[in-house]
Amino acid sequence: MNNLNEIIHDFVAEGFQRGWKHIDASQIAADQTLEADVVIAGSGAGGGNAAEILAQAGLNVIIVEEGPLQTSRDFHMKEDEAYSKLYQESASRYTKDRGIKIFQGRMVGGGTGINWTTSFRTPASTLNFWTKEMGVKGFSEDEMRPWFEWVEKRYNIRSWIVAPNANNNALEKGCAKQGISWGKIRRNVMGCLNLGYCGTGCPVNAKQSTLVTTIPGALKGGATLISKARAETFELKNDKIEVMTCRSMTPLGNAPAKHSINIKARHYVLAAGGIGSPAILMRSENKILNPYGLVGKRTFLHPVNVSGAIMPYPVNGEYGAPQTSYSNHYIETRLDNKKSGFSLECPPLQPMLVATNLEGHGKVHAEIMRQRPFLQVLIALQRDGFHPESIGGSVYLKTDGTPGLDYKVSGYVWKGIRDAFLVMAEIQFAAGAKAVSPVHRDATLYYSLNKVKKAIETLPMEILKARLFSAHVMGGCSMGEDTTKSVVNSKGRHHEVENLSVFDGSVFPTSIAANPMESIFATTAKFATELAKNLVS
Amino acid sequence: MLTRRHLLQKSAISGITLLAFENCLASQLIPAAPEGLGHSFEFLTPYDRGILSKLTPVILAEALPKSTEESGQAIKEVIVGWDNAVSGLPTLTQKEIRKLFSVLDSNFIFSLTPRLLTGVPEAWNDPSEIEDFLYSWYISDPESLITGNELRIGYMGLVELTMAVWYGNPRSWDFCGYAGPPDLL
Repeated sequence: MNNLNEIIHDFVAEGFQRGWKHIDASQIAADQTLEADVVIAGSGAGGGNAAEILAQAGLNVIIVEEGPLQTSRDFHMKEDEAYSKLYQESASRYTKDRGIKIFQGRMVGGGTGINWTTSFRTPASTLNFWTKEMGVKGFSEDEMRPWFEWVEKRYNIRSWIVAPNANNNALEKGCAKQGISWGKIRRNVMGCLNLGYCGTGCPVNAKQSTLVTTIPGALKGGATLISKARAETFELKNDKIEVMTCRSMTPLGNAPAKHSINIKARHYVLAAGGIGSPAILMRSENKILNPYGLVGKRTFLHPVNVSGAIMPYPVNGEYGAPQTSYSNHYIETRLDNKKSGFSLECPPLQPMLVATNLEGHGKVHAEIMRQRPFLQVLIALQRDGFHPESIGGSVYLKTDGTPGLDYKVSGYVWKGIRDAFLVMAEIQFAAGAKAVSPVHRDATLYYSLNKVKKAIETLPMEILKARLFSAHVMGGCSMGEDTTKSVVNSKGRHHEVENLSVFDGSVFPTSIAANPMESIFATTAKFATELAKNLVS
Repeated sequence: MLTRRHLLQKSAISGITLLAFENCLASQLIPAAPEGLGHSFEFLTPYDRGILSKLTPVILAEALPKSTEESGQAIKEVIVGWDNAVSGLPTLTQKEIRKLFSVLDSNFIFSLTPRLLTGVPEAWNDPSEIEDFLYSWYISDPESLITGNELRIGYMGLVELTMAVWYGNPRSWDFCGYAGPPDLL
């Protein structure tokens, strides 16, 4: 028991008690003006990561985060609490036409605070595509290797040797029977208790999110954290940013409050994610920030479709590390882009997540929920952005200035989604499923492979019928050397505005074709190290 | 002679009259809100609560406890949960949900949007009528020329929030075989 107490010792909360600098903007009584060497909008995989590197180089850093500061003691493994506090729009953000539900973190730690710890290096095929097709420099496999190695050390990204839970085990078993390659996922954890609650905030500080690693690192280096403040606009003079304006949020965090916080800095870093970062540039309404109208364009999502199966044994997918096994078979065999490739993974299966993302209501829904302990679920993530038809979405501003995403699923990706429904059903039946149900408005439970096959052939692949999800927003401020085809250069520096950088997943010119956290870590570690050098010298 | 201006004036007046009449009628047809467990409601009006009290058993069906007393309590908790959940949503989403309730709350016999289009029950006391209405929204064509995707989206909103609130509530966990978060100590 002593060990357990040590593990759950909330050293982040204690750090703040000892004097790490933090302003909860929902509690301030007056407008504020602050100054720093570097101000970073966002504290997730990009912002938190960059903050430590910049602060430890001796720069005075301010991190601005829209979400709340919550630490392990606040994480109670309760879905109702977590989704409303730690996710964008209470975990009910949708694309403009409601076709895709987007899960994004909104807390100190960003997505790393609530993601499922899945860590992949950027696939070589993606890096090569950027180099050959998208005009990106410095991102060859060899050039990136040291950065992957560095972040793997910093975030303790390692093989996970604990046996998979039954949900992931079914993926392994089914793939093996189908002759499909599969693998074990590496995870950024230290002292993980295999609880299964990564998605509600790690209660034991095992997950090496930026909340427990690089943000504390930055704060120890003298950085200031501002939580519950939304970065709104940049004001420019002579093509240089003079100030970043922020707005305090209400204590509940769902609406802006009345105080403004203006931050003047030598350099400004956007790290608010694939929807948030473009939004700040768009709200600023300055042509120089977006001379070719590329900001917020080519936003990718890895659109996800879902297949549920009833197994003859209890799965209890709510417990155990949620995502430990995967298959990239349909990525690797489709790299020629003739057909849309996809990877296969598992989600956690806590009741609220299951109940809200199933189709239907009443008797049918209740019956599946009654059998929830036997439920096995596979998800397929489409590799969007590599085919001329797969152009991604665009960020737009709503009437109140908050951002949304308009994403139309291309016919090309829809075909991949139909293929994925079939592949998932085949794997599930091979793993012993009694029945399979594609999560689709017009589907039901099918008790044989033949029946589900037939159904999948004719199910309409249309939004609001096939239920789609995303937990990975990428692109929108894409990088490249051609100043007319990209927003930032291959070092994350804005092409036109000298004191502005973008350090997050929005710089990716395509989707990653793997869970993007480690790609964001490595890319922004590289960017921030270079920026620190420039600013210090 | 009736001018265009007269017509506009006239229709504006009759619109207002109808609205008033409609509200008066609605207040008679919409079920009474159950008591709110001492919760002070921020978003849901008594009309909304009355309608939710009838929708919830149709949406959750067997997932609700069997005894009348327990299911009555559960429904009240769902309604309070709804109010809390909506209060935490962005302002624009709250406005959309308000719009949704304005469709559900009003009686459409005299309304500009014919009830035929939305299928909203005239009264809310027949569960099978409520199920028919819900089902019609469930299977509504997202590309309908008349209602667009509004009905389908309305359906998703109603169902998703109700599911979220109920399955986030420990009272539902027995039914779905969930033992709750593991005990750390």
